[in-house]
Amino acid sequence: MRARRAFAAAWLGLAALAPLGSRAQEPPEPSGYRTDRYRSPTPATLNGATVLPVGEAEALWKAGTAVFIDVLPRPPKPAQLPPGTPWRDSPRHSVPGALWLPNVGFGEISPETESYFRRGLEAATKGDLGKPIVLFCQRECWMSWNAAKRALAFGYRRVFWFPDGSDGWSEAGLPLERVEPYAEPKE
Amino acid sequence: MVRCSRFGPFMGMFMGMTLMAAVWGGSAWADESEAAWDSIRPDVAGQRAIEDGAAMIDLVAPKRAEDAAFVPVDIRIHMPDGDARTVRAIKLVIDENPAPLAATFQFGEDGRRSFELSTRVRVNSYSYVRVIGEMSDGALYMVKSYVKAAGGCSAPATKDPAEAKANLGEMRFRAFADTGRNEAQVQIRHPNYSGLQLAQITRFYTPAWFVQDLAVKQGERLLFRMEGGISISQDPTFRFSYRPNGEPVSVEARDTEGKTFRRSFPGGQGS
Repeated sequence: MRARRAFAAAWLGLAALAPLGSRAQEPPEPSGYRTDRYRSPTPATLNGATVLPVGEAEALWKAGTAVFIDVLPRPPKPAQLPPGTPWRDSPRHSVPGALWLPNVGFGEISPETESYFRRGLEAATKGDLGKPIVLFCQRECWMSWNAAKRALAFGYRRVFWFPDGSDGWSEAGLPLERVEPYAEPKE
Repeated sequence: MVRCSRFGPFMGMFMGMTLMAAVWGGSAWADESEAAWDSIRPDVAGQRAIEDGAAMIDLVAPKRAEDAAFVPVDIRIHMPDGDARTVRAIKLVIDENPAPLAATFQFGEDGRRSFELSTRVRVNSYSYVRVIGEMSDGALYMVKSYVKAAGGCSAPATKDPAEAKANLGEMRFRAFADTGRNEAQVQIRHPNYSGLQLAQITRFYTPAWFVQDLAVKQGERLLFRMEGGISISQDPTFRFSYRPNGEPVSVEARDTEGKTFRRSFPGGQGS
């Protein structure tokens, strides 16, 4: 029993030392978009994009050369609620200067949401497909992975995926600020 | 398939707590914050004072819910001896849900001194769940419990729209006299769409559509009345203290499209 536990501990220790990308808890890249269980471990990579550790995200942010796109989802208030129903949108604290485009990171999105995403990116990059863009939400959130993949499909050439998102940003002692969605997605 | 027929509210609660104990132990993981409550309190209770309700209300909810779209909550009213007041109404609040007031339950003029009520709710992210009891003298008392669950309001419906519509408004009533528990359960089939669920095919949000008002009577006496919102789970289900007395039980419900549903059941004989 004791030997087995020691073996397990050693194995876990080795796993922790293994290089990034081979850790068992990081799933391989799916061929398409992720369509469910959005809050779960994400892959180590995104084909075509550069993965940004928090330190490099900070450097890009300080250099001011990239635009930061927050894709944390937020449901719109349903139109059918009885009058007077108390409603509270959760406040979002994000990377200062980031543009918040909620709901663009679902695995499947409506044409309206897709064009909202396109318009938002165009506004942020002033229509420059070569502008570096950094996509993020929270840690272990597939929404940012999906959104970065989608931005590549739109033709953006310098796509950065920042998987630690606002969680990693705040843990690194960097400031967050309250943001509001760029505009509400059309129904 | 109806989940609650397999796992009643009590069983779900038990399983949730067991799972929590096994996986999380006693570690403090959550950010248990009052910030959301501070911002919604005026909408729920205005500027009225709210006292600690531990002496007269219990709230049992899983620390970590197994299914965020069906989180069992169990409310017990137990007015202490020597306190002559009754509880006239209770509000069920889920701080972090976008529509935080999940339901208001009213007990009529006579109020309740001893009553249990269980239902199932959607929890959208780690949140305090609160019960605020309004006494016969107008005073408010509150208890709360922290629940770790996420995605309950946006989780897809477990039935397709055609299936949900085929059984719409179907009701069930069951008294548990034979088990030795003085309880009964009412269920109404309704998708109770939250408005935050994405339809699989169209990828649009399915419009909110839910049971807004539900009254359960024993003969002419109101057992309880619920004004509900989008946080009440699909196929709203209520288990409550009940003593059969030979009178029929009637259930009347109205949804946000104005559809009404009525049914009367034999209430069982008193002993």
